[in-house]
Amino acid sequence: MDYLLIQVTNGAIIGIIYALIAVGVTIIFSILKIVNFAHGDLYMLGGYTAYYIVTFLGVPPLGALFLSMAGLFLFGIVLERLFLTPLYSDRTERKDEYGLIVTFGLAFFLRNTALIVFGPFPLRPPSFVPGVVHVGGLAVTNDRIVAGAVGVLLILALLYFMHRTIWGQALDAVSQSRDSAAIVGINPRRFNSLAFGVGAALAAAASALIAPIYSLSPGMGVLPNIQAYVIVILGGMGSVLGSIVAGILLGEAEGLFTAFFPDPTRALAYTNAFGVLVLMIALILRPTGLFGRRHVRME
Amino acid sequence: MRGLHIYIALAVAVLSLVSARTLNAYWMHVAIIAMFYGILASSWSLLAGYAGLFSLGHMAFASLGGYTSALLVQWYHIPIPLGMAAGVALCTVAGGLIGWVCLRMSGPYLAIFTLGFSEIVRIVLSTEDQVTAGMAGLHTAPLFRAPTDLPYYYTAFGLLLFALAVLILITRSRWGLFLRALREDEQAAAACGVAVARFRILAFAIASGLAALAGGFYAHYIGILTPSLGSLDLMAVVVVMAVIGGMERIPTAVGGAFGIEVLQETLRAYGQWRLVLFGIILLLTMRFARNGLLTPLWRLLTGIGEARRPAPAPRGIGPEGSRP
Amino acid sequence: MRIVRRLLLIGVVAVVGAGMILVPVKTLLGAAEPIKLGWVGPLSPPGGYADGQLMKDAATLAVDEINAKGGVLGRPIQVSYQDTRGLPEEGTAAAERLISQEHVVAIMGEFHSSVFLAEMEVAHKNGIPIVAVDVWANKITAAGYPEVFRVAPCQALIATQWGNWMVAAGFKNVAIIYEKTDGGQSARDVLLPILQAHGVRYDVVGADLNQTDFTAQIERFKTHTPPYDLFHTIYSEAGLYPMVQQAHSAGFAPTARTGISNTGGPATTPTFWKNVGDAGKYLVTEVVGLPKAKWNNITRAFVANFTKRFNSPPTPQAIENYDATYIIVDAIKRAGGTDPKALIAALEKTTWVGGRGKYSFATDHNPDWHYHQFVDAPVNLVQFDKVGQTPDDAPVVWPRSLATVQYTYKRPPQ
Repeated sequence: MDYLLIQVTNGAIIGIIYALIAVGVTIIFSILKIVNFAHGDLYMLGGYTAYYIVTFLGVPPLGALFLSMAGLFLFGIVLERLFLTPLYSDRTERKDEYGLIVTFGLAFFLRNTALIVFGPFPLRPPSFVPGVVHVGGLAVTNDRIVAGAVGVLLILALLYFMHRTIWGQALDAVSQSRDSAAIVGINPRRFNSLAFGVGAALAAAASALIAPIYSLSPGMGVLPNIQAYVIVILGGMGSVLGSIVAGILLGEAEGLFTAFFPDPTRALAYTNAFGVLVLMIALILRPTGLFGRRHVRME
Repeated sequence: MRGLHIYIALAVAVLSLVSARTLNAYWMHVAIIAMFYGILASSWSLLAGYAGLFSLGHMAFASLGGYTSALLVQWYHIPIPLGMAAGVALCTVAGGLIGWVCLRMSGPYLAIFTLGFSEIVRIVLSTEDQVTAGMAGLHTAPLFRAPTDLPYYYTAFGLLLFALAVLILITRSRWGLFLRALREDEQAAAACGVAVARFRILAFAIASGLAALAGGFYAHYIGILTPSLGSLDLMAVVVVMAVIGGMERIPTAVGGAFGIEVLQETLRAYGQWRLVLFGIILLLTMRFARNGLLTPLWRLLTGIGEARRPAPAPRGIGPEGSRP
Repeated sequence: MRIVRRLLLIGVVAVVGAGMILVPVKTLLGAAEPIKLGWVGPLSPPGGYADGQLMKDAATLAVDEINAKGGVLGRPIQVSYQDTRGLPEEGTAAAERLISQEHVVAIMGEFHSSVFLAEMEVAHKNGIPIVAVDVWANKITAAGYPEVFRVAPCQALIATQWGNWMVAAGFKNVAIIYEKTDGGQSARDVLLPILQAHGVRYDVVGADLNQTDFTAQIERFKTHTPPYDLFHTIYSEAGLYPMVQQAHSAGFAPTARTGISNTGGPATTPTFWKNVGDAGKYLVTEVVGLPKAKWNNITRAFVANFTKRFNSPPTPQAIENYDATYIIVDAIKRAGGTDPKALIAALEKTTWVGGRGKYSFATDHNPDWHYHQFVDAPVNLVQFDKVGQTPDDAPVVWPRSLATVQYTYKRPPQ
């Protein structure tokens, strides 16, 4: 029983981190209608930013997390202004492909620049709160508890922002229909930048939260990138709530698969494949994901 | 000058055959790899450019084709061309199956579904190492035992020509028109009597078969096969080649493959900055030439020949399709 | 106006493109007839770029030293460094480029066996000598190519030490995690028969290279009955750090009941302690170099110079690459030129004393991996007994002939 409980707890914590990354991909997708291939690399960059804020400025880890989020928010806006504006022009013939290639080029650039600038060796920022908590037979590190708790708070804050503030509601409106949003007086262009910035900031938060547990390395974004796509599609492209649910589901599914797959020598090796398989089956049954919306192209 | 582009293509083909002997071993290798990517980029553009099926599973089929051929040759000692043919056959069927399974998916859903498929293929190939040798690499029988790579060069050239012939035949026939109709508006196409399902499956099957052809050749050329052949990074390179070239025309995708491969190799001189520069060049190219580099050029070339022709027949699908 | 802008843009692109092609050509013309060597190794993902960088740094250090002393045969040494990204195809391209485009006289390096196997085919085809620096697969020297030499120990040498140590330390139930790479697989394949032969029971689990979360797996290990007494990790990449940390915080290993060990190298890199902290104490790992007690003047000078120049102590891979550079240069000197046949003959007669002792390459094929292998390559196992300890300061626990402590394995207190 303890065994199941600890696996479920760990799965939930990882799932929350997944959700943070995936929600960013979803927000970007729902507004800009592109699959952001560079999201894993923005995630990487956010972690390193927090690390250097902690080491060089001496800011406590939690403060560094928010500074890193702010930094990546601005960086996201700059990137969007520099490279993604052709998406909104009618002269661009293939918008899906344009978005894909530009973000892929960005990923290549960021990952390999990080390799040169940050160096190839893994780095680990100090713990948020050192130590381990024992509850009954369970042993969970404080870092994981902080990651889970702050992750949940950030997700709640995001939901509040999306549903209770004027900017968030406008963002949601644009994601549902750009034309209708324009008719009611919302300038959709402004929200392109906002969406990209928010997505980048959430990735930064996820990375800063997980860094004391996983360590930072320039290639750390590759796996979460694929997992984020799986989650976003599973949840239904463009559905924020769907991504949160699917993120936690994927975290649990992977953890429980490793824990209970009958062949112990293959359990860990096939964990990532299992997540993907769940996605493929879900898509065969529901071609637009669990909470999918129909409109998936830039109007 | 009617059909100037055809003459130019012919001239390029003749020139590349004649000049093969003057290449040193390194550039010959680059040319062979470029032709390998040429087959992949052009067949992928049939899927994505013509039919609008943005698949990210193309390299998985190349990988499957390579492994099928290499393993069959290893187990049963069949001749290598037969092994490659078996790989092509398997992937044509598997590609058709994938096409059938994702009939109802579109856009990003299809892209991520096929990405998922390729991840599963990669993970299985690297985990079941008793069979596939995993990441240690599967040793493959070489296609030729010759002092130079010249026979490989001619083979790659022949395979590329074959792939192009198949692709151009399809796109010039009414099937090509049907495929484009699918891309523009699937429901309208269905309403006009296009058998949507059949053509989607067909496009997947043919493109996957050609990918397997490229993969089989690669396996017996490089001599060692690892699951990273099917990685997302290489898939993205193929996409870049097709899009930079211009994926709505088969020949420009091949041009893109050559351009990107030569660029990647030229950048080797910059050591660690190589991939950074590659990223920057990619970003700038897309930023300032958003519709691909070669498409406008190709339009110019074909335009010279076609300008004086009568206006095309009204839109619709006649019995003769778009055949001139 | 738009046409003007477009023309301008095309002009700029053309000038930049031409510049990029011309700049390297110009730097080539400027140098004064150096002897060119090639280096291959991973410098970017998906390869093991951290190890590649350390190897490259060490080669740079050796080349600078050699050139400061006037080079070899009156000519300076120049190395062309090629990033192979851990992909065999990139390895082939890099080797082809080095040989037919840059006309190098010999190649050294590489960290991934699968990539090296592709590179050595090219070297073999062209008859150019290639020195394997940190690739461990037996297959490499077992192929029997006269062009291929290896300064690293091979899996057969390393895994034997591990197997014997586990038996001697009395482990009965071993949990093994290996990374699904060429190195991980071959380490596993050589280790398991040894354990089997000695009746040690084991469970072996494969993990993807990019994996960073092992908690679920570690919790699963914890439920095993009878409990495992050793957690052996075959990991050469960054994934080791979170794994060690997670094993520690989950209370699995190192504990009084379960030990922990790593083969592959990341525990010997300077970043190990920064990433794992307390969790790294009591870990056993291998050092593919001389134990500190046996260091010669070259080892001491190298460690001092490397630390000064790159601000971190070197790793075993680094010193392997440092020695490999000197061995090639020494062979060029003895061959009196750069003719590949003469160079291979000279390499076969190597008696160079480097930072890892006196090098020589076997010429027998018995067993097959002996051919051109540095058979006496030093391998010893150390166990950290202080946080922050460098592997050279850690007590040697195996082999017994080199051990600096009485015990073969020290259990953490309860």
